[in-house]
Amino acid sequence: MCTKGIHVVFFVSSCFRGPVMIMEPLLTKYVREPNCFTLDFYLKHEGYEGLKKALALTPDQVVEMVKASGLRGRGGAGFPTGMKWQFVDKRSPNPRYIACNADESEPGTFKDHLLMERNPHLLIEGCAIACHAIGARVAYVYIRGEFFHVQRVLERAIDEAYRAGFLGRNVFGSGFDCDVYIHRGAGAYEAGEETALLESLEGKRAQPRNKPPFPAVIGLYNCPTAVNNVETLANVPLILRNGAEWFAALGPEKNGGPKLFCISGHVKRPGVYEASMTMTLRELIEGCAGGVREGRTLKAVIPGGSSVPMLMPDQLDAQASFDGVQKAGSLLGSAGLIVLDDTACMVWLAENLLHFYRHESCGKCTPCREGTDWLHKILRRIERGEGHMRDLDLLSSISGSIGGKTLCAFGDAAITPVLTTLKHFRHEYEAHIREGRCTLPASWRARHAAGAR
Amino acid sequence: MIAAPVAGAAPTLSVEVNGAPDTLPAGATILDALRAAGVHLPTLCHDERLTPIGVCRLCLVRVQGWARAVPACSTPLLDGMRIETNARDLEDARRTALTLLARRYPADGVERDPHKEFHRAILEHGLERELLQASAPGPIDRSHPYIAVDMSRCIDCYRCVRICDEVQGQFVWHVRDRGLDTQIVPDGPSLFESSCVGCGACVDTCPTGALDDAARSRLGAASAWTNTTCPYCGVGCEMSVGARDGRIVAVKPVLDAPVNKGHLCVKGRYAFEFVGADDRVLDPMIRTGGQWRCTSWDEALTFAAARLGDLVARHGPDSVGVLGSARATNEENYLAQKFARVVLGTNNVDCCARVCHAPSAAALKHSLGTGLGTNSFDDIEIARTILVCGANPTENHPVVGARIKQAVRRGAALIVVDPRRIELASLATCHLAVRPGTNVPLLNAMAHAILAKDLVDRRFLEARVDGVETFARSVEAWTPERAAVVCGVDAELIRRAARLYATRAPAMSIHGLGLTEHVQGTDGVTLLINLALLTGNIGKPGTGINPLRGQNNVQGAAHMGCEPNTLPGAASPKDGRAVFEQAWKREIPSTHGLHLLHMMDAALDGRFNALWTIGYDVLLTNANASETVRAMRALDLVIVQDLFLTETAREVGSVFFPACSSLEKDGTFMNAERRIQRVRQVVRPLGQSRPDWRIICDLARAMGHGELFDFREPEAIWNEVRALCEGARGMSYARLDRGGLQWPCPSEDHPGTSILHRDSFAAGPRAVLHGVAYQPSRESTGPEYPFVLNTGRSLYQFNAGTMTGRTPNNALRPSDLLDMCPDDADRLGLSEGDTARVISRYGSAVLPVRLNAGVQPGQLFATFHTPSIFLNSTTGSHRDGATGTPEYKVAAVRVERTA
Ligand SMILES: Cc1cc2nc3c(=O)[nH]c(=O)nc-3n(C[C@H](O)[C@H](O)[C@H](O)COP(=O)(O)O)c2cc1C
Ligand code: SF4
Ligand code: SF4
Ligand code: FES
Repeated sequence: MCTKGIHVVFFVSSCFRGPVMIMEPLLTKYVREPNCFTLDFYLKHEGYEGLKKALALTPDQVVEMVKASGLRGRGGAGFPTGMKWQFVDKRSPNPRYIACNADESEPGTFKDHLLMERNPHLLIEGCAIACHAIGARVAYVYIRGEFFHVQRVLERAIDEAYRAGFLGRNVFGSGFDCDVYIHRGAGAYEAGEETALLESLEGKRAQPRNKPPFPAVIGLYNCPTAVNNVETLANVPLILRNGAEWFAALGPEKNGGPKLFCISGHVKRPGVYEASMTMTLRELIEGCAGGVREGRTLKAVIPGGSSVPMLMPDQLDAQASFDGVQKAGSLLGSAGLIVLDDTACMVWLAENLLHFYRHESCGKCTPCREGTDWLHKILRRIERGEGHMRDLDLLSSISGSIGGKTLCAFGDAAITPVLTTLKHFRHEYEAHIREGRCTLPASWRARHAAGAR
Repeated sequence: MIAAPVAGAAPTLSVEVNGAPDTLPAGATILDALRAAGVHLPTLCHDERLTPIGVCRLCLVRVQGWARAVPACSTPLLDGMRIETNARDLEDARRTALTLLARRYPADGVERDPHKEFHRAILEHGLERELLQASAPGPIDRSHPYIAVDMSRCIDCYRCVRICDEVQGQFVWHVRDRGLDTQIVPDGPSLFESSCVGCGACVDTCPTGALDDAARSRLGAASAWTNTTCPYCGVGCEMSVGARDGRIVAVKPVLDAPVNKGHLCVKGRYAFEFVGADDRVLDPMIRTGGQWRCTSWDEALTFAAARLGDLVARHGPDSVGVLGSARATNEENYLAQKFARVVLGTNNVDCCARVCHAPSAAALKHSLGTGLGTNSFDDIEIARTILVCGANPTENHPVVGARIKQAVRRGAALIVVDPRRIELASLATCHLAVRPGTNVPLLNAMAHAILAKDLVDRRFLEARVDGVETFARSVEAWTPERAAVVCGVDAELIRRAARLYATRAPAMSIHGLGLTEHVQGTDGVTLLINLALLTGNIGKPGTGINPLRGQNNVQGAAHMGCEPNTLPGAASPKDGRAVFEQAWKREIPSTHGLHLLHMMDAALDGRFNALWTIGYDVLLTNANASETVRAMRALDLVIVQDLFLTETAREVGSVFFPACSSLEKDGTFMNAERRIQRVRQVVRPLGQSRPDWRIICDLARAMGHGELFDFREPEAIWNEVRALCEGARGMSYARLDRGGLQWPCPSEDHPGTSILHRDSFAAGPRAVLHGVAYQPSRESTGPEYPFVLNTGRSLYQFNAGTMTGRTPNNALRPSDLLDMCPDDADRLGLSEGDTARVISRYGSAVLPVRLNAGVQPGQLFATFHTPSIFLNSTTGSHRDGATGTPEYKVAAVRVERTA
């Protein structure tokens, strides 16, 4: 399920509601153009106009604009970006920093990769505007350890931007100085957690810090820092170019702007789709991605990367917005929609995901370090048909002692696959235990085993 | 999610813990509130010495209105918090977390040592049955003589890693891999081969048996603990000593000790086994016909008293002398000098301060009016610039060294003046690698640079300093360029250091024997004082002139009057005479008295006949050993009072008084920051050995002066000191009980003095800058003696090795070494481990070579810890003009390969 190290070709497309295209793609419009990542190409398409406009405004005005645009963080939590910038401590005598979270490691999520590879200047422009907004002079882009290729593309783009005067000293003659640096991680899911990311940037192990204090007050090198996701920052130039109202109107209330959805799993056309958050999940899955394969039925959808609760087929008419998905009982998270058809064994799924979480737990805090391992051991036991009924209570009670009790949100993420499959598919667990094996047809199981490790 | 802390928080916080209201001071954590409320939670990743990281998640609490449970240890307390600790889910989570840890933890450890924090938590929660019954796999490392590693017992609390980083600053423990595969590993193939300095901090904090004192399995667990002051260096760490069946088995740091704040070094923490060493002398002895013979105290005392009395009668009182001891208490040193002055009737009394910091005391007294260090160790954390001159604290005063390292980590600028690239030099903003013997031109050039750029503190000079013009003229010619040629230090670097010291205030100066053990030792210290006066870095927090005193009580020995021209309390004979004569009912001799080196000279001239040396191996430690041997051989009587048959005793002793160590007696020590601290008896004196104070009283009685030496316990002696010395008056034993007090402390309600010269100097309202002309060392190198040999100490051995040499420290440093830069070694065809003969004009010594790129070409460094190597055979006879302190730091030598 984790895409680490696998080269995947994705469909990239805008979204249609029925036959009607409801939104012109903005972030990904040109990604198929051969030279879309070059500065020349970018400049022909309003490149760095947003920065120019931003520099004519005061930082506070930029923050106000972003607040009014309804832009919410695309990294997972959906926190309003303008508000995050406003919290950056302005009274501190220390420098301030932008840290762009490009660690993209959430299973089922592959949008930031695309943006950086095909539209790097959009991110760089976003970084520069963000720096201006919070009074920083330096932005660090922390990219995932496996993204060698992306690093090269970004570095080239940054060089171009320096040479053209969009970065460096006195940008646009405004007196604004801005440097953007790339730092590639060593390959750890947890490095995407914002405080772990800061530790890693500082050259330490990617392990999170206790919050409070939040990075906005004590962040990188103990200085006020805003941590923003790639897609979040990539939206910022659009707001500056076209205005906050325009941006807000692209989506439902408080869910402004375009959104990238990563649709993977048992669909006909997996890929990255850019759409308005006014769409429903069903429209995305059935319309854009073509629905599940012939002869199969939809079993469940994990709508926000592997760390959020599942939705059942009858819940898919929920709006694909932060608020809409939450109302339906899950979270939009990183907008990685993992679609599962009836061939998916839910015990296997939980075991597979817990294998991932157990492996990725940073080990800093006891419940997660020890608990994910124990959960995984129990799940493996059940999956192999060696479980007991009392294991199901054990799974719930261990999960209960991890949820909300760990240092960072990883713990909550890690127990979600267990709790959500137990909630909706307890009968599959019971069948495994009763029968001593998976009760799905043997041909399907073979595929699971092959993909698992 | 969580409210940000309110700006300008109220001085007290009103909170509720499980429904009960409470108020706490601002700055407290939730854990403080729980402890105040008597709520006990396991806190396995918490240690007061460390920044909390909240990872074991056992102290989780809920704060009303907050979404997530938070760890009490790392969450600041805010006004109005309503804290809940006993919700069902919190208790479940706590139990689960402990169960998870227990499931991979071997059961036998818990039984063996139920007091360890983790074991206690397991037992309190009744989780013994969850423990692993088999032995768990995990790296076991028994390579280190003091620290046993068994990582099958590690619960990943990171306390060892953090204390090594945050307290010792050594960064030995690394974390490898992640998640459940996390391993804590040293930065070398084994702990022994790692960069570990053996301070034991990780052992002290580890809540399990993963890191443990290796001696525990050999010596057993302590049954009683006694707090006392460390028997080693002048930092004066407070430690808790564990004993079992009359034997010392363990040492722990005292957490709230003002000096060491819960830290110790390898010597204090582990090197205690000398106390019961096999060759400890436990009976009085008399030497007849070259043979030592055990005897009774009565006989030994009577014999010594008769001989001393006879010599005084025949040659006069100034033909005999006494040496007090830096290892003995204040009380004992007070008695030693009283004995000399009252019983023998001479001012011939001295102590080992003569060979170390006498120049500091002389210069400080001359310039500022008192010879004591001006500030406190707590100023290290306040200073923004620290100037370390001729000291290697990370080896020789390790707990202060660790505090300096942490200060640098927090951003203090560090200037190091030292010929060698010592550990601190590698952390320094400026390292001035001065040629040995050229401190005076260097410091003059720094003063020049400060004056040239007008970086002086004008207001301070106007208010409190005289002689600025004259001094400025005296350094006028010492441009950094000129000094650069003499000192071998880049002129710009001198300017940079001067600027830092002058402008990045407050600046604190810390110096050691690299400044004092020179022919211009006193002059060097005078110039350091001048820099402080010029820049106003004195009399304020984070500033001052701070000699790092070598031995635990060398400061006290000198201060109690073990110097020819000093009476107790450092009173001059002129001012103090009346008080002491009245109290002692004797006239204090009017002759000047001989210091140690003059005693040696007089002995060679036949004018000095007897020496009583208390806890001081003169022969091994004096410079120019062959001359010392000749002098000592000329004596008619040498009374040696020690734990062991020292080189002095072996060569020239006539009578041996077996003393006991400071761990076997009561009293007080005075550390480098003038702090008087209690010394407490941990075990009874071994065999017939006696505390020094008793022996002195016994001999006084044997010589017919019992009435003035009628003391039953050290406290009575101390009370006599208090009655006679104003500075000690407020320091009753009762008040000294916790943490000690800093001299002067003139009354019972006085808090002690952390900083001297705040408003005026001891000498008066104004100090005077004294110019110093440069006199090069008379030790000249040339074709015959091409190298300059510098001598000093090292981490694992202490001075003459009398104590550490009888402990497993020998495994950590088996021998003295000759440090030489690789190029020089190459030229001489020497490689690491070869033995070489060092030959000076005075003698020679043979020792193994160690290649050390931190030593400059043409220079050598060697320690003097190993009696069999006897490095002081090579040091010379030149002395500091003012105090007679030998020039240990400069000897011209050549090196020859031995077969
Ligand atoms: C375990 C864990 C992993 C995360 N990984 C990522 C990631 O790879 N990329 C990302 O943008 N945010 C990630 N986040 C979320 C970040 O902590 C943070 O919320 C985000 O970078 C904020 O940016 P935004 O406000 O622009 O969304 C992760 C969070 C957790 C708890
Ligand atoms: S919850 Fe997991 S990932 Fe987060 S700090 Fe704890 S061990 Fe590390
Ligand atoms: S060795 Fe001890 S102190 Fe270090 S992490 Fe393990 S349990 Fe904690
Ligand atoms: S003691 Fe608070 S989390 Fe470990």
